[in-house]
Amino acid sequence: MAGTGKSLLEARDLRVNYGAIAALSGFSLKLMEGEIVSVIGANGAGKSTFMNALMGMVKLAGGTILLDGCPLSTRTWKAVQGGLALVPEGRRVFAPLTVEENLRIGAFTRREADIQEDLDWVFSLFPRLKERLGQYAGTLSGGEQQMLAIARALMARPRVLLLDEPSLGLAPIVIRDIFKELRRINEQGVSILLVEQNAKQALLLSHRAYVLQTGRLLKEGNSRDLLQDPDIRAAYLGQGAGRGAA
Amino acid sequence: MSFSLSTLIQQIINGLSLGSVYALIAVGYSLVYSILLFSNFAHGGFLVVGGYACYFLLTQWGYNTAVSMAGALAASGLVAVLTERLAYKPIRERTPITLYLLIASMGVNIVIENIFVVTVGGRIRALPQSTFPTGVFELGGGVTVSASDILSLVVAAVFLVLLQLFLTRTRWGLAIRAAACDLRTAGLMGVNVTFLIALVFFVAGLLAAVGGIFLSVRYSLYPQLGSITTKAFIAAVIGGLGSLPGAVLGSLILGLAEMLTAGFISSQMRDLVVYSLLVLILLVRPAGFFGRPAGEKI
Repeated sequence: MAGTGKSLLEARDLRVNYGAIAALSGFSLKLMEGEIVSVIGANGAGKSTFMNALMGMVKLAGGTILLDGCPLSTRTWKAVQGGLALVPEGRRVFAPLTVEENLRIGAFTRREADIQEDLDWVFSLFPRLKERLGQYAGTLSGGEQQMLAIARALMARPRVLLLDEPSLGLAPIVIRDIFKELRRINEQGVSILLVEQNAKQALLLSHRAYVLQTGRLLKEGNSRDLLQDPDIRAAYLGQGAGRGAA
Repeated sequence: MSFSLSTLIQQIINGLSLGSVYALIAVGYSLVYSILLFSNFAHGGFLVVGGYACYFLLTQWGYNTAVSMAGALAASGLVAVLTERLAYKPIRERTPITLYLLIASMGVNIVIENIFVVTVGGRIRALPQSTFPTGVFELGGGVTVSASDILSLVVAAVFLVLLQLFLTRTRWGLAIRAAACDLRTAGLMGVNVTFLIALVFFVAGLLAAVGGIFLSVRYSLYPQLGSITTKAFIAAVIGGLGSLPGAVLGSLILGLAEMLTAGFISSQMRDLVVYSLLVLILLVRPAGFFGRPAGEKI
């Protein structure tokens, strides 16, 4: 599913400071309805801060966030009600709760009557979770926990699924599965915004991408073009000294 | 000092009754700890508010026992919510270091205690005799059990079961359990964390009031009654701070240890045994029976 040209989520000139340190100094991004957009960048580029800013988890020093062209609340629970759901970095499943309880808390903003239907939907995406329903989330493997974290976010029936480093700490084969599922989720109508250090996977999955460096935009464009961009190849894809390596 | 079976049974009954009151208080402690990771020493203050609210509703305004108890529970719950809003929330928003919350809670406890000293005076009061049934049942062999002991045991059990049902069967209960695991991530699920914290304080305050009323019946009512929550706190630590089953188990152990010491050794040795038990547990199992091992517990 590619973008329809209608802007769904827009961040304009976001600024976030941690004390005297500027983590984001005027970053703007647009996500169209139906699109997958990735933000790539090195450690400390401000990727997680950007995600937390969208969710109202950090205070903005400036800038605006628009959902459907209307300002989004800076309160996290209202952002979730508005249609944003974040899969946080490091998965953060509720270890002492069961898989089912994790999914139910994901549906906190939903009506009880709709929950069963949503459960069936996430089980169709991640059948393995259905087998593990009564198991404590803490006993799942890393890959399963990531599936649970994504499924938990989907239980909120988000319009935008935000993912913070979904590949972190997972084996390459598991990453491939997870990214395949993300494409399927997008095909079912969920717009996706992900931040990743694993630039290659992110660029292969997304339609468009933004490159973030120390809180500022370095480059943006079609993911396919960025995959071929010599500078990006050199800096983020680990492919030699750029030019000629293509 | 001689061992007798009837004394043993008698003291076990007394211990369970006392332990059940501790449990109500300890569970509130643990509930707040599990969410905000600090020991709320103002909890004793909430208990005193509950005790006095019940006293004045009964004696000054002449309400019946049920209405007075309900009023006391609500009053204590509201004071707990207000305490969080006025004293803890401003600190929470400025620093992640929970030690400041602990110190603030000690301050709040002193403030509440002294508000009562200034306004109603420090003298010791007793709830009216007619408040609760006063009969004593003979179980044979010299073992007796008072109606108020049975009542406190039953009421404590009812409230603990209700709390358990609330936590396991309701949407907000699930949210509280998730928040106890990871408050930030619970917020990402669309839970209004500010409301959740207020709710937790309300429930903790409400349980403290039940404990306060039964302690007022068992002993008497005075502004420093809240200091008895030190025992409930110890019970929560023994059970494992943040664990509700742990708090209940710790409370029962403590209640039994106190009463068995009183029955077989000496009443004056009660506190010595209790504190020795605490030291022993902290040496052998620092996280308590059901506690999560943590780097630092405040």
